[in-house]
Amino acid sequence: MNSILKIGILVVAATAGLVAQDATALLKDVDDNLMPGSYEAYRRIINEEPNGSKKEYLFFTVKKGRDKIALLYLAPSSEKGRATLRLGENMWLYIPNLNKSIRVTSLQSIIGGVFNNADIMQLEYSVEYSATITGETEKEILLDLKAKNKTVAYDKLKMWVTRERKVVRKVEAYSASGMLIKTLDFRDDKDFGGGLVRPSIIETTSPLYKGYRSLIVYQSIKRRTFPDEVFTLNYLGRLGDLR
Amino acid sequence: MNLTFAWLVLVPAFAMSQEAQPEGEKKLEWNGNLDVKYSLFHMSQSSPNYRLQFYNKDVSPYLTQYRLEPYLNAEYKTQDLGFQLRTHATYYGDRESSFDLFEAFGSYNPSFHLAIQAGKRVYSWGKGYAFNPAGFVNPAKDPENPELAQAGLLSANAEYIKSFSSDALQSFSALLVVIPGNPTINNRFGESKYTDVAVKLSFLLWDTDIDLMTYQGSLTPKEYGLDFSRNLQDNLEVHAELSVAQKAHRFVIANGMLQSEQSDVVSYLLGIRYLNEWNTTVIAEYYRNGFGLSKEEYPAYRDFLLNGLAVGTPAAIQQILTTNQTYFKSSTLMQDYLYVKISQPEPFDWLYFTPSLFSIYNLNDKSFLLSVSLNYKPATNVEFIFWPSLLVGGGATEFGDRQAQQKVELWMRIFF
Repeated sequence: MNSILKIGILVVAATAGLVAQDATALLKDVDDNLMPGSYEAYRRIINEEPNGSKKEYLFFTVKKGRDKIALLYLAPSSEKGRATLRLGENMWLYIPNLNKSIRVTSLQSIIGGVFNNADIMQLEYSVEYSATITGETEKEILLDLKAKNKTVAYDKLKMWVTRERKVVRKVEAYSASGMLIKTLDFRDDKDFGGGLVRPSIIETTSPLYKGYRSLIVYQSIKRRTFPDEVFTLNYLGRLGDLR
Repeated sequence: MNLTFAWLVLVPAFAMSQEAQPEGEKKLEWNGNLDVKYSLFHMSQSSPNYRLQFYNKDVSPYLTQYRLEPYLNAEYKTQDLGFQLRTHATYYGDRESSFDLFEAFGSYNPSFHLAIQAGKRVYSWGKGYAFNPAGFVNPAKDPENPELAQAGLLSANAEYIKSFSSDALQSFSALLVVIPGNPTINNRFGESKYTDVAVKLSFLLWDTDIDLMTYQGSLTPKEYGLDFSRNLQDNLEVHAELSVAQKAHRFVIANGMLQSEQSDVVSYLLGIRYLNEWNTTVIAEYYRNGFGLSKEEYPAYRDFLLNGLAVGTPAAIQQILTTNQTYFKSSTLMQDYLYVKISQPEPFDWLYFTPSLFSIYNLNDKSFLLSVSLNYKPATNVEFIFWPSLLVGGGATEFGDRQAQQKVELWMRIFF
């Protein structure tokens, strides 16, 4: 009886391990299908308010590998020239008027509105979260993602991934207490060239901000490699040279 | 430079450049802002500083100021060349205005590792938010508004950056700044022997930002400094600065006269930046100003001002004003300060509204400044700031002796 129990436990453990491995591999595929390993991108962020007014930001973003990302504000004028660098869990903000970089906590919000850093300075899902598969339909796979550490803004995510192309379609972000913070819908697939076909718009809504809507619109994404020096504190003031 | 002349030159240039840029190849970019500032002051008419500044003027204790501050910036960048211009003007009325060239420099970047810049450039050394004892090449900082743009330094610099694939040392950079002598001869010529050099070495070591810096001055003391900044937790950053000025002159008033004491002067700062679960940011800094007056020295300084007022001749008033402006103009006149700022972006889900509260507390005489800033950005490129301040302290205290005891500022900022 004991032997049967042991075998049973081993089978369950091995199956759980395989499932976890599948989920991790799937999450890595999702990342690969969203962005190249190293790239430059132009993104517009639009915050829409219940009264119809809009606030728009334009960012130039460069990323290298799994833990280096830098972002330069191109618009609006009030923010132009500001830049943010993230190296793993280290994050800095560059203020052009002062020619000064300030180390900030990685949870610090860098623009107002419904967005926070996690939405615009995100590295890769598979870097920040561990995944498990919790459901499947004919067309989609449902993943539960758990933050690997506290530097991530959302403790848990539910992610819907297409079975065929392994592209993310929807993400729900939850707090540690289980409260739904926001929902991200990935839509309007676009061919960005170089074999990259992915959603060009991420629409965000939040039950905390009823009537508000935020859109990230990817204008271009290009594979591009950079030397590591681009992702240093002292280079932040020169990010615009890369455009 | 004459304000009107500057704008006559700059504005048409701006207009022409906008027309000349073909879409998609725009390299020269212009931006700027207009700050319109209205201030209401409740003056402290018994303070020696007020009495000196408004000597023999019979004015109301409630004064207002309405001023315009246009900023106009231009930037031209290619992969290896760059030009940057930042200008600022202050306009009180047709009879009082000024123009400042904040920055004008060219840059050449032969590689990702190396950058060379020459012209007038702002430097911000040090990790402190409100004070920078190791900011040897920085413009004088106003702790009441540390994020305000200021004028740079006529200089040339070269910076070398190197990254490493290591868990310990992740990056290194070296910055050399050369500062030519001031053009004191006919306002055009300086002397080569008065060329100063400043060096900053920066390291990202074990996830900690570390800087070592020095200023080798010909007329000023040799200064050495270090600073660091590190995230202790994901919501807590700590930073510190230390500077030593060798054989520096520290000015005090003794026996009713200005006197200087020469010694090695040490200044330092310890600070934190903390973010709580409600997104409240707290910045707290302790600043030790080695050049400042002690609690015992301050009354002698105050008596010096009062004695000048007692003499009451125009020459005596002018002499006291000049001494005050030259040797005691710092916004931190004494030795020990505590700075605390608490900001809460978007409370009660009120988007784009950020209230903050800050205080500069003089630990030597227990006087302090308390300010509340209400910042609202209702639409893109528009910002309103409502900013009341209260200065608290008895007679013979630093903040109690300031010219104004209460002030309210109202700003409107339009960016373009």
